[in-house]
Amino acid sequence: MLIEFTLNHRPVAVEAPPDITLLTLLRDYLNLTGAKEGCSVGECGACAVIMDGRLVNSCLLLAPQVAGSEIITIEGIRGPDGGPNDLQENFIAYGAVQCGICIPGMIMAGEALLMHNPRPTRDEIRAALAGNLCRCTGYQQIVDAIEATAVQRELLP
Amino acid sequence: MPRFDYVRAGSVAEAVHLLAEPGVRSRLLAGGTDLLVYIRHEPPNFDRVVDIGRVPELKRIERRGDEVIIGAAVTFTEAAESALLQEVAPCLVEACLTVGGPAIRNTGTLGGNVANAAACADSLPPLTCLDAVAHLRSLVGERALPLDELIRGANRTAIRPDELLTHFTFLAPPADARQAFIKLGRRNAQAISRLSVAAIGRRDGQGRVDYVRLSPGAAMPVPRRLHEVEAMLLGQAPSDELLAAAGRRSAEAMIAVTGRRWSTEYKEVAIRALVEQALRRVLV
Repeated sequence: MLIEFTLNHRPVAVEAPPDITLLTLLRDYLNLTGAKEGCSVGECGACAVIMDGRLVNSCLLLAPQVAGSEIITIEGIRGPDGGPNDLQENFIAYGAVQCGICIPGMIMAGEALLMHNPRPTRDEIRAALAGNLCRCTGYQQIVDAIEATAVQRELLP
Repeated sequence: MPRFDYVRAGSVAEAVHLLAEPGVRSRLLAGGTDLLVYIRHEPPNFDRVVDIGRVPELKRIERRGDEVIIGAAVTFTEAAESALLQEVAPCLVEACLTVGGPAIRNTGTLGGNVANAAACADSLPPLTCLDAVAHLRSLVGERALPLDELIRGANRTAIRPDELLTHFTFLAPPADARQAFIKLGRRNAQAISRLSVAAIGRRDGQGRVDYVRLSPGAAMPVPRRLHEVEAMLLGQAPSDELLAAAGRRSAEAMIAVTGRRWSTEYKEVAIRALVEQALRRVLV
């Protein structure tokens, strides 16, 4: 079936079977491999993307469910020069990345939080990351990076 | 060959027609957080998914007089962010906030949670505590069932294959009654309930309990209010001894239904503590 939606600010129309997940649609039909398949049952958040302004697990959505929606994936997060944005730069600066497999999901969870709550407390940051597992860093640096980004964005003109 | 087809319903009327179509086994999808896990493990036992997640009639949260209406396709996030539900049903809001992580709450729905009827479904204790009624629609007509009649056991409901769960209704509890929801999970984030308790309560001018409702979650296959515990609290001053007795009576009620199972050694102690804590929050 033809699935039409907005992907990273551009309209897309893709022919795909109705019984695949959004994650499969992104990775195998649209060649966007930033979202990762970790657990496939909504426990790990490695596949997280933003749908109509809300964080969702792309492994738990049927591809046709997104018809008419606006999807942002990690490939749609970038700075004005096309390189990493401020949140991604802070993940690097704070040492929040080790093996990296959870990081696309962590960035999406961070961006989804900052869309709704520009100045979150550390507890709110932790709550926003509750569905994202990292087995390397222990979360502290990830929380630091999101907190620093919130502070910096608030100071921007 | 796709394993099943997909169709999106634009209205309740359209969804009900799709469900009734002969020769096609249709399966409703609201958010998909349960269905997508299911089809990963089992070959689908349906030919077509009918997506009701965007039907406007199923997304409403409103109050008409004393009656509160919640559409079946309202997500946990939408329920938790509703100013109306924060005011009239804080125990339900608290329960919604303990479901999964943010991504699960943004897609999973109250109707799906109830229709899937897992014994550990977090919306069941507060909805039961609120005496919520589930409204079903089919081509034949409408019917309304209280939750303890809708749910027949773990993952079993009285919903017929041609029926759509459209919404829940309940009467707003007294504005001066307090509400609580407490949940035990294996970790704080993203945890499936091991046990939970929803409670609503109020004391009169003399400090005696004049309104109380109590409903445990993940404790019994069919959710129900613990009327026997409520009865021992009504008209009494909530002393430490009384609350402890209420906890013990709740554990007895649970074991009377489930018998002594592998988890009872833990749950017996835990439900006593949870009931005491929940009652303390609403009555003391």
